[in-house]
Amino acid sequence: MDDIGFILLSYIAAFGGAGALVWHVLRRARTLGRQLPDEDKPWI
Amino acid sequence: MPIGRGTSTTFTRGLGVAAVVSLAAVALFGLVLSPPDVIQGESVRILYVHVGTVWVAYVAFIVTAVSSAAYLWRRTRSLVWDRIAGASAEIGVLFMAVTLFAGSLWGRLSWGTFWVWDARVTTTAFLFISYVGYLAVRDLGGSHEQRARRSAVVALLAVLEIPLVHFSVRLWRSVHQDASVADRTTDVELDGLMLFTLALSTVAFTLVYVWYVLHRQRVLAMEDALDDKGLDLALAERRSEAVGQKGVR
Repeated sequence: MDDIGFILLSYIAAFGGAGALVWHVLRRARTLGRQLPDEDKPWI
Repeated sequence: MPIGRGTSTTFTRGLGVAAVVSLAAVALFGLVLSPPDVIQGESVRILYVHVGTVWVAYVAFIVTAVSSAAYLWRRTRSLVWDRIAGASAEIGVLFMAVTLFAGSLWGRLSWGTFWVWDARVTTTAFLFISYVGYLAVRDLGGSHEQRARRSAVVALLAVLEIPLVHFSVRLWRSVHQDASVADRTTDVELDGLMLFTLALSTVAFTLVYVWYVLHRQRVLAMEDALDDKGLDLALAERRSEAVGQKGVR
């Protein structure tokens, strides 16, 4: 597989980018969730 | 008063598990099980990332436009639409960046260069920059309603670029190929496993998209609620200060 580096890089960018965004939103949700009562969270 | 819970629900947890499992399957099929292409060889494996992410980016930008229109229409006006629009644009921008990056790597292998000022590639870059601008407009400040109104207008203008990007390969001479799998008039025959992997990647990235929008719009709702509480507190303090000053006089 001659092009392995480029192929892996494209997968790392896609999976890593999505993972970073997910991690950021979960961390933010946890931080804000501590500051607000559950009455202000209609999804619960 | 229960406090401390975030944005997860049973549904989003299930969705998250489904997204992770399907992404793992994309890696397995895309990198190992699917066969190399007759002409492109192994580099065709980038297709599964490139097409899957651009599909989600298109969907995300269209959802942003529809939600923005729903906000601007008086009958359906609600900040929930604005938050969905913002959340959708964020993940759309990320996946569009991945599309451009993966596409440039694929271009290096197929065309011999990372970048060409080709109609499809250039209009896609413009689309990406437009939505980075949309996210910047959302951060300009002001009330939630001001943010929602001005960003909705930008979203409705930016979405007009999508048909231009899609049809750019037909409108102008382009080195980028036209739609070949979905177009029944072409004689392109895709191997069954390649077609399955392509469909799988589209589903997997769509699951990630839905998961993200659900969580992110809830985070935005919490940010807005905290903003409102902070403003109410500041106004109450200002009023009590004013009453105190009157009492001293």
